Amino acid sequence: MTGDLDTHPVSAGGRPLRAYRLGRVGFDDLLALQARLAYDVSGDPADGAVILCDHPPGVTIGREGSRAHLRRPPEEFAARGRPVRWVGRGGGALLHLPGQVACYPVVALGRLGLTPAGYVAALQGLVVDLLGDYGLTGEPDPDRPGVRINGRRVAHVGAAVRGGVTSFGLVLNANPDLEPFREVRCDDDPAPMTSLQRETTIRVRVPAVRQRLAELVAARFGFARVSPFHTHPGLAPRPSYHAVATRSR
Amino acid sequence: MAEPRRVPVVVPDLGTARAALSLWHARPGDRVYDGDRVAEVVIPGAVVDVAAPASGILGDWLARPGDAVAAGQVLTVVEEE
Repeated sequence: MTGDLDTHPVSAGGRPLRAYRLGRVGFDDLLALQARLAYDVSGDPADGAVILCDHPPGVTIGREGSRAHLRRPPEEFAARGRPVRWVGRGGGALLHLPGQVACYPVVALGRLGLTPAGYVAALQGLVVDLLGDYGLTGEPDPDRPGVRINGRRVAHVGAAVRGGVTSFGLVLNANPDLEPFREVRCDDDPAPMTSLQRETTIRVRVPAVRQRLAELVAARFGFARVSPFHTHPGLAPRPSYHAVATRSR
Repeated sequence: MAEPRRVPVVVPDLGTARAALSLWHARPGDRVYDGDRVAEVVIPGAVVDVAAPASGILGDWLARPGDAVAAGQVLTVVEEE
């Protein structure tokens, strides 16, 4: 396995990492965008991108998950505004809430010389590095991939490798409300979840976490710098509520 | 007339011994093309597609979803036409 990128970084030939900092992205939009970026990268393995976003409230269940990990029926989650969706990624059930940061690198594993397991370890390493910036020690969990702090899960890793190109990735609890996690056994983990803000005394700002994750992805996967974008032409137009005129008498 | 070539579809190097067949994307008898996704394996934290190594007709499944699999294991064959 060639997962030790700290000692053998693989260069992308001075190419920048395209970082799409997109705010809230629905899963249909995410899947379309990931497919588009994966198409780009499959044609040019030195290219790479990362999607940094959060998702509308809901539950996703990866290939290692099951509805048994939900403490209520899926219909009840949907009725409470948290629809349940099965997705083609590794990992188990995951509750999506505001205050999380989803970080989905789209890179060619062949260029990096990484096996899929090495890539999962690299994603865990990203989170450990980020936690270090906040004075915290993260513990990668090899059984249910993710990262823990003091035994509690703070990040979930669930990736997919299609045609040698990665999609999905990791979701970090930066500062979400932890109470709703009681209803989902995320990754079949009986221990309660935690968040970056719960564990550190430093104020956690979600945009800063997104920015730092982009920098860490670029450094770990051999990109020269980060090129930030705030939209992608392939994304569906978003409704502009502020532009809707309302008439009052 | 030459016999059609049977090209094995093998599990790629996953970097871990903990792997299982997740699902099949194609059925025996399906026509597949070089590079098509025919199966998916799951390791802790990731799913990995297995691609057809040649174009032709997919042979019988040699593993079922949920079975443990190892790198290099033959999952099926593609019979070239």
